[in-house]
Amino acid sequence: MDKKKIYSLWFLVPATTIFAVFFIIPTLASLYFSLTVWNFDSSKFCGLDNFKMFFSENSLNIGIKNTLIYAVLTSGLKVILAFLIAVFLTSAIKTKHIIRSVVFFPNLISTIAIGITFAALLHPTKGIINSFLSIFGVGRIDWLGNVDIALFSIIGVDVWKGLSIATVIYIAGIQSIDKGYYEAAAIDGANGLNKLLHITLPLSRPSRNSVIILSFIGGIRSFDLIWAMTGGGPGFATDVLASIVYKQYAAGYYGLSTAGNVIMLVLIAILAFPLQKYLYSKETA
Amino acid sequence: MKKKVLAILLTSMMTIGLMTGCSSGTKDTSVETTPTEAAQKEEAAPTVATDSENTAADGQWEYKEATLTFLIDSDVSLDGFNAVAELAKEKLGITIETEMRAGGADGDNLVKTRLASGEMCDLMGYNSGSLLAALNPTEYFIDISQYDWSKKLDDTYVGTVSSENQVFGVPLGSAQAGAVLYNKEMYAKYNLQVPKTWDEFVANCKVLDQAGETAMIGAFGDSWTSQVLFLGDYYNVLAKDPNFTSGFEAGTTKYATSEAGLSSFKKYEDLNGLYNDDYLATTYDDACDMMASGQGAHWFMLTQALSNIYSLYDKETVDKIGVFGVPGADASNQGLTVWMPTSIYGNKNSDKYDDIVRFMEFYVSDEALNAMTEAQLPDGPFCVKGYQLPDNAYEAVKTDMQAYFDAGKTSTAQEFQTSVKGSNCPAICQEVASGQVTGEKAAKEYDEDCYKQAIQLGLDWKE
Repeated sequence: MDKKKIYSLWFLVPATTIFAVFFIIPTLASLYFSLTVWNFDSSKFCGLDNFKMFFSENSLNIGIKNTLIYAVLTSGLKVILAFLIAVFLTSAIKTKHIIRSVVFFPNLISTIAIGITFAALLHPTKGIINSFLSIFGVGRIDWLGNVDIALFSIIGVDVWKGLSIATVIYIAGIQSIDKGYYEAAAIDGANGLNKLLHITLPLSRPSRNSVIILSFIGGIRSFDLIWAMTGGGPGFATDVLASIVYKQYAAGYYGLSTAGNVIMLVLIAILAFPLQKYLYSKETA
Repeated sequence: MKKKVLAILLTSMMTIGLMTGCSSGTKDTSVETTPTEAAQKEEAAPTVATDSENTAADGQWEYKEATLTFLIDSDVSLDGFNAVAELAKEKLGITIETEMRAGGADGDNLVKTRLASGEMCDLMGYNSGSLLAALNPTEYFIDISQYDWSKKLDDTYVGTVSSENQVFGVPLGSAQAGAVLYNKEMYAKYNLQVPKTWDEFVANCKVLDQAGETAMIGAFGDSWTSQVLFLGDYYNVLAKDPNFTSGFEAGTTKYATSEAGLSSFKKYEDLNGLYNDDYLATTYDDACDMMASGQGAHWFMLTQALSNIYSLYDKETVDKIGVFGVPGADASNQGLTVWMPTSIYGNKNSDKYDDIVRFMEFYVSDEALNAMTEAQLPDGPFCVKGYQLPDNAYEAVKTDMQAYFDAGKTSTAQEFQTSVKGSNCPAICQEVASGQVTGEKAAKEYDEDCYKQAIQLGLDWKE
């Protein structure tokens, strides 16, 4: 019995080793280094000073607010829009395979490339979007330069890019709904809208929950698109937690930026775990 | 059987795929860096003695074929460097492979990561002054103070590429100024005088603005450009408070609480609304075009932009541009804030130590400087003792800037006088320039930002 147990434990060794080397040890090391002034060669213990400094960071207020706006809005928009697209793409339309590919296309492009491209498209004077809008007499909009709308421009691009994955998850969920429900409803005289509201919507809950969780966590730790489009600017107007940490790292404040990462880890955990728990409790009920 | 063969084929393809995938990821343009790492350890620290033989007095250079890699950011004009590199290939047998990197925060990040991971090129182009100090240079770069030829470098310059009595850099190009570039034709057209004080300057801007011209060019799409007004104002800060630098380094003088420092940030407030419409999306390159084609009157910029415009257009275009120092409060004391050039540093841990030193020595020789000035006219004086500006220098350099040097009214920018420079400086300047915060708030933010740098550098600052 004992021997058997040990024998089977050996199967865990490869996976555990990889997990320990690449996840557990770095996490513990980062916990330590977040308490130091660190320049790669030497580190000096400084207690909780880094955390104190990080929280007194001037751009942090903007950063946390932006992070939450970004996560909630991208996640919400994706959940709603992707559902509509998925319903459309699972209906009996002829070209649905082509349209499905088209919808998935943005996801195949690198985020940085998307960011740079959209920054050019959204250029206030030379951008194609403003040129197009000017045909309709819309004045010049500074999409990424106006502090009040810059973040929302990025959110729009993020939604455009992230819709595809959400749609695919929805399509899978909707297709797995038993056709029997629709037939039964049709016999009872339900119209299309009834079916959508009372069958598709409730029965696609598992896939919706996945979309919410994935896009919410993705939104909280989002960085690449923001960095490519505005670099956190103008000023600090579109800074999020991740870009604040990145800038500190780039400046060589390794201890401080590690502390920022620890804070971000905790924040994601605090927000994501209860959310997940809540959503899944609904699902099984 | 068939299945087995197929399985073997597939796995081998996957491994090969993985391996090629990895290597192509790290290759970039520098082919030379990786394979030598193992050999490097055995050769250990190279000896100094080998140097004496190639300090040939009469321009006789030792010829030995070698290839050196060079990492530099893409905002620096490389015409001059390339000309020297050509010559080095001919005279020294050293081929330079240049690798481009991003500028700004991304570039800093890349440089620091590559230094820490031991993947740095043989030669590296990087800022002098406080940004170099933040790299922990004694750890990574060759100390050239042990060689005689390093004595001919200008003393002020040497001060900005030194740490712990070691000297690391040779100047990549000429020194330059952080100043106002202005359109001389537009000044003539509206009958304006070069302003002596900040108020006169703002008045000039208003005249141009009312005439429908773009009074100020803003290129804040590249956020680093937004700092030039603040950093270039340092002559005026020192004019008001000569002890500003020492107080700042000690952590007692703050921007927000000293009149001299605060006025730099307040200047941004006066310029609100005078910029081109798309100033938050305009890049450095766009702005060079605007300056060259007369689409704007003033631009706070480093004079390196002159070289950039020169390589895009011609000398005639550059000579339409004039330069004056950032105006201060006192009309009788207008000065120029000078930038030390970007420097070339040698990677101490490279196995091509001797070749690197050979190249660096050659780089500051008169022969190399002649080749450099032939390809790219200087943006200011050279940091090599006794080397004069060529006669065909840009008007702005030869006339406008030289006047400040002749009158002794110059000072180096703050980042060359102290090791503390807040890393968020570009973003803070961008924030105040776009009117999101007041000058006072920006100054306070910058003080907090500098505090972080001071802690990282181990300075004893009180919060």
